[in-house]
Amino acid sequence: MLKKISLAAMAVGFSATSSFAATNITWWHGMGGRNGEVINEVAQKFNAAQSACSLTPVSKGTYEEALAAGIAAFRSSEQPNILQVFDAGAATIINAKGAVIPAEDLINQAGYTFNRDDFIDGVRYFYADADGKFVGMPFNSSAPIMYINDEALKKAGVEAPKTWEEFEAIAPKLKEAGFVPLVQSQLTWEFTENFFSRNNIQFASNNNGYDSVVDTKLNVTDPNLIMMFDKLKAWADEGYFGYYGAGWSDNQKVFEENKAALWIGSSGSFGGLSKTAQMPFSATFLPYWNSIEGAGTNSFIGGAALFAMSGKPAEENKCVADFFQFLTSPEIQKFYHQATGYVAITKAAYELAKKEGYYEEKPAAEVGIKQLLLKGGEWSKGYRLGFYPQIREIMEREYGRIFSGETTVKDAFDTIEKEGNDLLARFAKTAG
Amino acid sequence: MKRVQFSSPTLPYLFLLPQLAVIFIFFYWPSAQAIQSSFYLEDPFGFGSSFVGLSNYTDAIFNPEYLKIARFTVIFTVLVTFFSLSLGLLLAVKADAVIRGNSTYKTLLISVYAIAPPVAGLIGMMFFDQHIGPFVTMAATFGWDMKVGINYFDTAFAMVVVAVWKQVPYNFIFFLSGLQGVPVSVREAAAIDCRSGIRRFWTVILPLLAPTAFFLLIINITYALFDTFGIIDVMVKDKAANNPITLVYKVYMDGFRGNDIGGSSAQSVILMLVVFVLTIIQFRFIERRVHYN
Amino acid sequence: MHKTKLSDHLVLIAGALFLILPVVVAFTTSTHEAAEIHRSGLMLSPGGHFVDTYEKVLTKQGGFTGQVTGARMLMNSLILGIGFAIGKIVLSMLAAYAIVYFRFRFATLAFWVIFTTLLLPLEVRIMPSFEVMTRLGLLNTYSGLIVPLLASATGTFYFRQFFKSVPDELLEAARIDGAGPFKFFIDVLVPLSKTMIAAIFIIMFVYGWNQYLWPMLMTSDEHFFTLMRGIKQILQVWIGSQIPEYNEAFALAVLAMLPPVLIVVVFQSWFIKGLTESDK
Repeated sequence: MLKKISLAAMAVGFSATSSFAATNITWWHGMGGRNGEVINEVAQKFNAAQSACSLTPVSKGTYEEALAAGIAAFRSSEQPNILQVFDAGAATIINAKGAVIPAEDLINQAGYTFNRDDFIDGVRYFYADADGKFVGMPFNSSAPIMYINDEALKKAGVEAPKTWEEFEAIAPKLKEAGFVPLVQSQLTWEFTENFFSRNNIQFASNNNGYDSVVDTKLNVTDPNLIMMFDKLKAWADEGYFGYYGAGWSDNQKVFEENKAALWIGSSGSFGGLSKTAQMPFSATFLPYWNSIEGAGTNSFIGGAALFAMSGKPAEENKCVADFFQFLTSPEIQKFYHQATGYVAITKAAYELAKKEGYYEEKPAAEVGIKQLLLKGGEWSKGYRLGFYPQIREIMEREYGRIFSGETTVKDAFDTIEKEGNDLLARFAKTAG
Repeated sequence: MKRVQFSSPTLPYLFLLPQLAVIFIFFYWPSAQAIQSSFYLEDPFGFGSSFVGLSNYTDAIFNPEYLKIARFTVIFTVLVTFFSLSLGLLLAVKADAVIRGNSTYKTLLISVYAIAPPVAGLIGMMFFDQHIGPFVTMAATFGWDMKVGINYFDTAFAMVVVAVWKQVPYNFIFFLSGLQGVPVSVREAAAIDCRSGIRRFWTVILPLLAPTAFFLLIINITYALFDTFGIIDVMVKDKAANNPITLVYKVYMDGFRGNDIGGSSAQSVILMLVVFVLTIIQFRFIERRVHYN
Repeated sequence: MHKTKLSDHLVLIAGALFLILPVVVAFTTSTHEAAEIHRSGLMLSPGGHFVDTYEKVLTKQGGFTGQVTGARMLMNSLILGIGFAIGKIVLSMLAAYAIVYFRFRFATLAFWVIFTTLLLPLEVRIMPSFEVMTRLGLLNTYSGLIVPLLASATGTFYFRQFFKSVPDELLEAARIDGAGPFKFFIDVLVPLSKTMIAAIFIIMFVYGWNQYLWPMLMTSDEHFFTLMRGIKQILQVWIGSQIPEYNEAFALAVLAMLPPVLIVVVFQSWFIKGLTESDK
């Protein structure tokens, strides 16, 4: 209710200036398919809600292509007002001091009050600076969660595991029932980055990279992480874990075809799964290790954020602030959440959807938000690592070698640590 | 070199001007900047940079993974070039020989070239899908447990097949146009001189095709090296992991995807130098055997 | 002329099958539903959704402005394909003519300067290229889309190869007749190159037609959307959360094949053995 009034107030505020021509702002994004259409709808809603600003979204291909286009344009002073940047590329844009206006500053300067507590905990720090100030505005967010093949668990007579210890206990029964007990779709996001967040372990020095780019080092030889992959390898050898390569859908397919019991996927996957899964399924949190002290914290978000590019006139920046404000309003957040499957990023939007009974209808849609709302730990806020897309590629390469038997878990992580740290050192030099 | 040529102080430059202008503005100017970047580590947005001398080059060359990728690139290039050239030639020779249904074959074979690359990649990927790919099922009947995306060799095999499939029509078109350019009188003379079709092909037709074949050889090598990264990207489902990749795909991963402008520029310069040297060798040794008249 | 043998047909049929089967499969698959394609992969038999899928693809108004229709994308792709092919042929024939038929000091150098462009793909120099385009004010223009792509050696190299194989006697004869460089080029060389022009036109048209990355970076206006962007947009979805509309992507790809095939058919006659120019 309150928000409706404030929206109306916004509209009144805008109409006062509407005798002037609308200020045009552009938004470059990297989404296609249905998600690209939803972006158009959001922009249309914004343009309809006020008349001072006119927002034009432009699809710039994939995440990577959108970032590359944004960089090329920025270097030629042709940048858009808003650029969507994906999680692994966050360090690139945030460390380029001067490329963006922090979202929080922008919104405050426009005369709104920005309240960090409005956002759910899990999304609050990932695109913020070391002091917690929002640099990017979280936009499309997701969390890695575990999908459950209800039929398989019933057949094996077991309950869904909350911890990896519980999984170990039920895996033989699931295998006996004729299922691959566990599959996953992205070892980097689900078993590395979010291993650190869910088990509350430091990922990298310098406060996970937030404090400085100089001398940041990976903590991938942490004994707990090595234990996790030793286990995965042992499970794979015993037939408790199936690895079908680094491709996302090759692994998901096994679950869809009712051949696997548990699948670690994205919180947004339920929409597609409900069309393709050949059995009833449900979802729960990504498991953690009970044996690790302080484990069970919230996970990092995946997805992308919106960045306000610098070097634009004040009235355009004002429009960007208006749009960010509009975007985080509960109605729009709820619309976006339901239309795309990405999690709602504000508490108010979550409450709104809950009140409407959305999660009774689609319980799987709530799991990701709940996981992001879990208690936070020191190391579950996020990470900021330069050249991270390349570091991920090194991880993927070494993980593939672990499961093909070309290397041992210990050697793999030694390699990742060495090559990863070299990349981080190189990145530190790009700052000049 | 031609025995007879025109000579004019201005005309050749005039004819060259449009092409050279486009090349200098849109190739050499940006390329010079790319080469300059290879000596720096640079913040992609242009806020900071450190001069690092040759270290971008040494970082690449002394990395064992880079050398492994280089080795695969060589094998991949040789295989793709060989198979797409020979299949293209075979089909062109047959299409040239056939009179009835000639244009139908031509249209069919050429039209494959027109299929949109993203969809061509998708089709290739679906054919080799480890769960539902028809090719994988077929291989299974021969006892080949094909696992594209997991097994290094299987993935490499699939990449070569798809890359060849995309390139055969290209070679077909040029070989065919080359063949159709062989004057009727030459064919008739050849038919009288040697009765064996195969011998006639080797001794008369192939030498006439040599200029086209040499052109295609160079073009196919650059295709396999530079233009296949889209196919590779689709086949590995944009996660290279421990799958085979080529040097250009590495440039694409580091530069375009990872925003390491300095490192990827250095890699492209290395690649360019190697290919340039290779090409000069080819012009020296192979083109000498090409008779243009 | 020699007789056609059965084996010739067999080889051709086998080759055509190897090449064309995936295309046929693309068509049959496009007539199924997206979820079905996701589950069972490629379809060999036609499905029941031909009319609705193709109707949707042709008439759907996409994009933010709602002006990105199939027709709009088709037109842009055609402009790119034809503009690129013609530009390429004109530039490279002129350059190759100069290199092969004129005696001047920098001929070899000129060839190598042009040839080098084969060795550094666009993707590698895309950032600096963008800066050049901005300085020239060519963003969001058709010439900005076409002209930079012309900076490549394929055509020049190809025509050089062909011109060099043209018998010297032709030029000698022409000179005896008193023909100058222009007359020789237009009256002798161009007609002689018909088959070559047809081949390169097809290749270059398809190349321009299939451009994706360059147009996407150089334009930020939906009016410049091409078919290729349309196809990529459909396929590019958030993995797992949605099923790409495979049927629409396949349908668009099949439709996108038609104009190039039409070009092939049109140029077909140029490919027919030169009976009129029976002897060179």
